Amino acid sequence: MTADGLDPLIHVPARLRIVATLAALPDGDTLSFMRLQTMIELTPGNLITHLRKLEDADYVSTEKHGNGPASRTSVALTHRGRAALDAYTETLRSLLDGL
Amino acid sequence: MERDMSGTRETDADRLDPRDAANLLEQTRRQAQQQFDLSSPRLSLLGAAVVLAALGAVWLSVRGQHPYKGPTAAGLVVMYAILAGWIAVVVVFTRRATAGLSGRSIRQQRAFGAVIVTALVAVSVFQGVLAHDGVSDGIVNGIYPLTAQLIVLGTAGAVMQAGRESWPGFAVSIAIIVVATAGAFAGPAGVWLTDAIGIAVVVLGSAAAQAWLRRAPVSA
Repeated sequence: MTADGLDPLIHVPARLRIVATLAALPDGDTLSFMRLQTMIELTPGNLITHLRKLEDADYVSTEKHGNGPASRTSVALTHRGRAALDAYTETLRSLLDGL
Repeated sequence: MERDMSGTRETDADRLDPRDAANLLEQTRRQAQQQFDLSSPRLSLLGAAVVLAALGAVWLSVRGQHPYKGPTAAGLVVMYAILAGWIAVVVVFTRRATAGLSGRSIRQQRAFGAVIVTALVAVSVFQGVLAHDGVSDGIVNGIYPLTAQLIVLGTAGAVMQAGRESWPGFAVSIAIIVVATAGAFAGPAGVWLTDAIGIAVVVLGSAAAQAWLRRAPVSA
């Protein structure tokens, strides 16, 4: 945790945007890597790096469908990731209430 | 500056002030919800105009008929042309919103589409049965088709929206059922105008509610 008690995995602009975007999907839905990249406006390399960190913490899950040029990777927020974002939001709220 | 195993640099500038984080979180949520949303205030405004124009064209073709015979070919052509244009706009908008999406809600939408098409075909077949059995033109070509189709659309929409716990959409669907039922009392010619105005009002109300909700802060 940061000194403020915020989850350091989420408390970075790019990862906060990734997690918040995926949280807007209905539970059980996935988003393609390409659409996520377009929405977040990150380079593929940067997005992969941030997704790996989130995946290592079991905040997101990725799944590759197919092989070769037609392959498609989909990304989803896990229950753990959604709970982490909820906790992060609550912590932010209490920090801002205290300001 | 810190560099991790993956090579991503995270500097102090990457760390967020809590207020900036809250703003970024709300802005991102709002943008994502708007991009995934299958409806929009502008689309609803256009929908209200489409309903008024399409059903209004039929009403113009049937008003003053004594006895009631039903919509003229010209009235029906105008209505179907307007509805076809509207369907094309909705398809483009939906494809854009759902690009790259897969999973449960997409499967639900496909099932919903299948239910709607099946039910509308069933309504039309039943209309043929009524005509075959000698039911009056006022019912077969007036009150029945519009009322039954709107009740089907409203009921299917209400079930779908309840499943998603989307209560504004649920309210719109219920309102459409109420308008369709009440409009039936206006008679075979009046039903076209009454339903046109009623549904346009419901859709305009929905557009205003959507615009207001989009301005309101996103809850955590």
